[in-house]
Amino acid sequence: MKTASQRLAAAGQRTRACVFACVLLAYGAQANAAGTAVGTVIENTASVSFDLGGTRTTIVTNTTTLTVAERVDVVVTLASPQLLVAAGDANRALLFTVTNTGNGSETFSLGSDNAIGGDDFDPIAAVPAIYFDSDASGDLTAADVAYTPGVNDPVLAADESVDVFLVNDIPAAVANGDIGRSRLTASSLTGTGTPGTVVVGAGDAGTDAVIGTTGGEASAEGEYVVSDIAVNVVKTQLVQDPFGGSEPVPGATITYTVTLEVVGSGTATASVFRDPIPTYTTFLPGSITLNGASLTDAADADAGELDTATAATIVVRLGDLTLADGTQTVEFQATID
Amino acid sequence: MSVQKFVLAMIGVLLAGGALAQDSVELTSSVYKQVLVEKDDGSTETQLVAADNVLPGDRLVFRNTIRNISAEPAESIVITNPIEEELVYVAGSAEGEGMAIEFSVDGGQSFAAANALRVVDNGIERPATTKDYTHVRWVMQTELAAGAEGTTSFAADVE
Repeated sequence: MKTASQRLAAAGQRTRACVFACVLLAYGAQANAAGTAVGTVIENTASVSFDLGGTRTTIVTNTTTLTVAERVDVVVTLASPQLLVAAGDANRALLFTVTNTGNGSETFSLGSDNAIGGDDFDPIAAVPAIYFDSDASGDLTAADVAYTPGVNDPVLAADESVDVFLVNDIPAAVANGDIGRSRLTASSLTGTGTPGTVVVGAGDAGTDAVIGTTGGEASAEGEYVVSDIAVNVVKTQLVQDPFGGSEPVPGATITYTVTLEVVGSGTATASVFRDPIPTYTTFLPGSITLNGASLTDAADADAGELDTATAATIVVRLGDLTLADGTQTVEFQATID
Repeated sequence: MSVQKFVLAMIGVLLAGGALAQDSVELTSSVYKQVLVEKDDGSTETQLVAADNVLPGDRLVFRNTIRNISAEPAESIVITNPIEEELVYVAGSAEGEGMAIEFSVDGGQSFAAANALRVVDNGIERPATTKDYTHVRWVMQTELAAGAEGTTSFAADVE
């Protein structure tokens, strides 16, 4: 069983870099406020006052009238961190946010693309591949509604956004560390193309629609990284009291048995097991074993020792571990003070 | 002011640029969109084009032309232009030859030079920003001779 923290440790550097990038993207999207709503009428009437022949007079000008047209713009941002996956994983969901940064209501079609250059593998689109985060949980759940093009294309008001999952399977033939990317694209149904293109009469409130700086289409890519390697650690304890029983009383001996096992593909290089001796117990000298063989307490040529530099800690150097190495068993004993 | 003059003045106000303007002063307004155009040599210049399909973020230029069509000089000319709620005045954009330029932040009740304007925001007084401007006005420093013409302009961005 791989725990989240173990997986994160395997690719922590990449994850941090992605989180930083995502924050920047989100900030960029925030700056794109939709602005004055489509259909807003801006009227301007100036006036002039003057003295003529001793009479003060004020007149107003003709009124100039402008109706704000619709600007078609959309932004897609990735909301997921880089996803750590295993070969053959099914239904791994990347979360994206699609935001209408135009100034009118707009309908968008959504699409996905996994054939992206520069990565190591192409994720396999699930069927269906796109879901709405209908329950706003941030995770793909049974309550989330699948997207069907032309049937439930998202309609977003100005500044409104919708969270969308891109769901992929991971191919079986991938290696540890491989990266696969998946792209979500949102396209305005009013039109896409060169910024400034006018779509006559296609705007809200009878205005013309004008393709904005985003071209009416936007996309973002999410990333999967294969991180098959994980080390499973299980620790058990056995108490033997001085009276032949198993009560944890002063003077009782505790035998700790720790099993370590690599699962998945790859190599856990230079693995080191460290375990502090618990408070209120004292290490029993000469009690460390690795796979049944005794290790001395001193820091010497063998794989283990008792490190007393700060707190008393068992240290066993396991070296490079793979699945083929099987279960490693470390045992040591302590007495209750 | 005599009753007769007052009535005349009121008629002037009521007719507002209509019949009475024919024999006094004319003011016409126009609005343009200011766009950045790339020239053949790669440099860019701003141009004024028709204000079609105005979008949020567009810069508009409002121009008023005043003409004295009477046979006498017009004096104490003050041209006032509101800045609509959806517009933000572009700092330093107001122009008018021989005119003092002032702004209002209280809906046109009082006017002052840009650097003298202050507003009260949540009980705290602060210098006004261009977003606070509700009106701009031009106070002509000289008289406008019979048949003469003057122009004022300012730019504002659509929010």
